[in-house]
Amino acid sequence: MHELSIATSLVEELSEIAKKQAATKVVTVRLRVGKLRLISLDQLRFSYEILSKGTLLEGSRLTIEETPGFTRCPNCHYVREFKTGDMLFHFTLPTMKCPECATALKIEGGDECLITQVRMILPSQPSERKVKTSAL
Amino acid sequence: MTSSEGEVFDVELEVDILKENRRIADENRLRLRSKRIETIDVMGSVGSGKTSLIKEIVSRLKHSYRIAVIEGDVTTTIDADILAAEGIPTVQINTGKECHLDANLIRKALDISPLDKLDLIFIENVGNLICPAEFPLGSDKRLVVISVTEGPYMVLKHPMMFLDAQVVAINKIDLATAMGVDPDKLGNDVSRLNPRASAIHTSCKTGTGIDEVIKSLRLRPIN
Repeated sequence: MHELSIATSLVEELSEIAKKQAATKVVTVRLRVGKLRLISLDQLRFSYEILSKGTLLEGSRLTIEETPGFTRCPNCHYVREFKTGDMLFHFTLPTMKCPECATALKIEGGDECLITQVRMILPSQPSERKVKTSAL
Repeated sequence: MTSSEGEVFDVELEVDILKENRRIADENRLRLRSKRIETIDVMGSVGSGKTSLIKEIVSRLKHSYRIAVIEGDVTTTIDADILAAEGIPTVQINTGKECHLDANLIRKALDISPLDKLDLIFIENVGNLICPAEFPLGSDKRLVVISVTEGPYMVLKHPMMFLDAQVVAINKIDLATAMGVDPDKLGNDVSRLNPRASAIHTSCKTGTGIDEVIKSLRLRPIN
């Protein structure tokens, strides 16, 4: 059920972003979620849909880019990608012990959970709004 | 670009969705450090023995440290009451439907804790092996409690919880034979997943392993 908490934070962050730009509506939201966050994307979408009702985000499309998880051995530099198989809900995690030298592996990628792009509608104000702030 | 409703506008950014929790967790950590309070987050399933283990540790350390316990539970104060019987301050957080503690709840608990009179805080998380792993609280160490009564596959099934643990207690060791569960195998699973964690066989009934858990958490009783 941590998907609900994550969706709550997501809706809060997005509302803040939309407010800063004085948007009237959010159309699409792009996320980048690492496989090692072990987030069930279906549950995240479902929670998002419910929580965004009645807000500027209602009806917006959530596009989620999943990034692979990598571990690296700090001792022998062995690198491995997490393979997730065909698990029904979540994923399996392989060992965090280096198969070559038994050192503890470090997670090198795939643990992010980011909003990367927001497309929104701004009210038309033809002449005044020529200069836009492109990033927050 | 325009649409019938107005102007379409794209913002490219990199906003960490969980950053707010992490920020508050860092704040909690700094606040506790400035008071020189050590904090241990205790996690594990419902019925694994988190409260019993904390009680055993507290009874051995309460003359060496000024201890408090922050108790996360869905509804009741049963666990907090058990620990209050040890004569230490307890702060109860009822999470309602939420299945984990988060940094903001801990901040509120710290607000009402007697921080100037404490050296050590145990935070007992809600009984759950999945969700609390995603929400750092600002503690120094993480103690995960599993028990042989949960069967032989607990570690493999819930790997995330063990990745950041310093100590894993394999509890109710007195029941291992009756359960037909090999605690050494559970210990091997822990060290395969996280070679830095110490896996310790414990029993709150017989007292097995409690001193070792205390030692592995780098706490020291005054003799």
